[in-house]
Amino acid sequence: MQWVDAVVQGVLLGGLYAQYAIGMALMFGVMRIVNIAHGDFIILLGLIGISIATAWGLGSAGLILLLVPLGALIGWLLQHSVLNKVIGTDPIPSLIATFGLSIALQNFMLQIWSADTRSLSGGTLSVASVSLGPIHAGVLPVIVLACAVLLTGGLDLVLRYTAFGRGLRASAADHNAATLSGVNTKEVYALATAIAVGILGMAAVFQAMRTTIAPPDGGAQLIYAFEAVIIGGMGSIWGAFTGSMILGVAQVVGFRIDPGWGILLGHIVFLIVLAARPQGLMSRG
Amino acid sequence: MTGPILSARGVCAGYGDFQALFSVDFNVAPGEVVALIGANGAGKSTFLKTLAGLLPLRSGTVEFDGRSIAGIPTYRLVGHGLAMVPEGRRLFDGMSVEDNLRVALDRARSVPEDTPEWTLDRLYALFPILKEKRGHLVQSLSGGQQQMAAIGRALMSQPRVLLCDEISLGLAPKVIREIYDLLPEIRQSGTALVLVEQDVSLAQKAADRLYCMLEGQITLTGRSSDISREEIAAAYFGVHRAVG
Repeated sequence: MQWVDAVVQGVLLGGLYAQYAIGMALMFGVMRIVNIAHGDFIILLGLIGISIATAWGLGSAGLILLLVPLGALIGWLLQHSVLNKVIGTDPIPSLIATFGLSIALQNFMLQIWSADTRSLSGGTLSVASVSLGPIHAGVLPVIVLACAVLLTGGLDLVLRYTAFGRGLRASAADHNAATLSGVNTKEVYALATAIAVGILGMAAVFQAMRTTIAPPDGGAQLIYAFEAVIIGGMGSIWGAFTGSMILGVAQVVGFRIDPGWGILLGHIVFLIVLAARPQGLMSRG
Repeated sequence: MTGPILSARGVCAGYGDFQALFSVDFNVAPGEVVALIGANGAGKSTFLKTLAGLLPLRSGTVEFDGRSIAGIPTYRLVGHGLAMVPEGRRLFDGMSVEDNLRVALDRARSVPEDTPEWTLDRLYALFPILKEKRGHLVQSLSGGQQQMAAIGRALMSQPRVLLCDEISLGLAPKVIREIYDLLPEIRQSGTALVLVEQDVSLAQKAADRLYCMLEGQITLTGRSSDISREEIAAAYFGVHRAVG
C-alpha cells in the first residue's frame, strides 16, 4: 500500500510542478524561448507575497489575487522590454538574456530580502488532511492539484476556442504568416508571457505555504519545470501537466526507496525520456 | 477613371547589403487585376513583401488608398484591407482548415454595408472542398486544397487589395485552372488583385495589365491585350529575341 500512497503523493506534488511547467511550455511552444529566469520569478513573487502577508496580514487567497496580476504585468513588461527584441530563429540571444535576468533577479532578491529562508503561514490549511481508506492526503496539495488541473484545462480551452488562442497558435506555427493574417504577434507574445508569469503568482503562494523559500532557490524550480516540459513534450500544455505528474511520482517513489534518491530518481526518469523519446511523451513528432 | 488604391513610386528595398529593388513604380486600381511577371530573382516577391510591409522601404513611397503606408506594421495594413497570399501557402500547421480561416476572420476589418462581406459560408461556396475538409489539419490537404485555404484565409480579412505570390507554384495544370477560374468572383466585390506569376500565358490571360520585372526594375508595363509575346520576351530576358 505504501507504493500506492507514494503514487498519490507524487501526483499531488506533480500539481505544484504543473503550475511551474505550463507557463514554460506555453512560452516555448509559442516563441521557442526557454526562460532561464522562470524559477527566479516564482521565488520573487513568493518573497513579495511573504512581505505583503507580513505587512498587511493578507491571506493566501488574497495573495493569489494580488500576485497573479502582478506576475502577469511583470511578464508583459519583460516581453515588451527585453524578449521581443531578442526573439527569432536563433534561441541563443533569448537564452543569454534570460540567464542574465536570472542572475540580476537573484542579486536583487538577496539585496532586498537577504539569504534567509522564509515561508507563508498556511494556518490550518497546511496541516488539514483527508483520508481515503489507508491513503491520507493533505488538503493543501489537493487544492494545488485541483488548481493545476483547472489552469491546464482552462488554458487548453482558451488556446482551442478563442480568437486569442487561435492567434497564439498561428504565431507559434508561422510568425510571418500570422502577421499577414492580421495578428499583432508582438502583443500575442507579450500576453503569452503575461499568462506564463501570472500563473507563477499562484505557484509562488503554494510553494511558500508548502516549504521555505530563499533567493537562490529559483534554480531548482527551473529544473523541475524544465524536466516536466521535456518529459511531456516541449510546447504541449497537457504534455507539461503529464510530465509534472511523472516527475512528482518519480521523486516521491525515490524518496520512499531512500531519502537520497528522491530528486535523483526524478532526474533519471527525465534522462531516460530524453534518450528514448527526445520529443517528449505527448508530442506528435 | 478611378484612381489607384495601391501605388508605389521610386521604391528601393533589399536584404542587408543587397539591394533587390531599384526605383520601382507601380499602381493598381480597385477591382483591377495586375500581374507581375519576371524570371526567378527578378524581384517580384521582394516587391510584394515590400508592399505588404514585410520588408522596409529604403527609399520611395507606397500609398494605400491615398495615404502613405511606410513604416506601418503588416498586421495593421491587413486591418486596412491589404492582404497577401504568401509564396508556399504558409498555412498554420497543426491547426484545422477552419481555424486557419478564423485566425484572419477574427481580426478582419469591418466592411461597408454596400460591400459583400467574405463569410465562411461564402468562402465555402467558392471552395466547396474546404467545407468538406474544414475539420482536417491543413497539412493533410493536397497542394491545391492548401492553396485554396491560403487564398481563403487572405479573403477572410476582407481585403481591398489581395497580393498573391506565385499561387500556381507546384500545382497541377488542372488545379491551377480551377483556382484562376475563381479569380473573377473575387474581383467582383471590388477587390484588386496583384498576381506574381512565372507563367506568362496564365498571367496575360488573367490580368488586365502586366508589369514585367528584371533585376529589380520594371522593364515593361501595359495592358495585357496590347503587349506582344516578343515585347514580353525582350523585357523578361533583357534581350531582343523572337518567341517561336
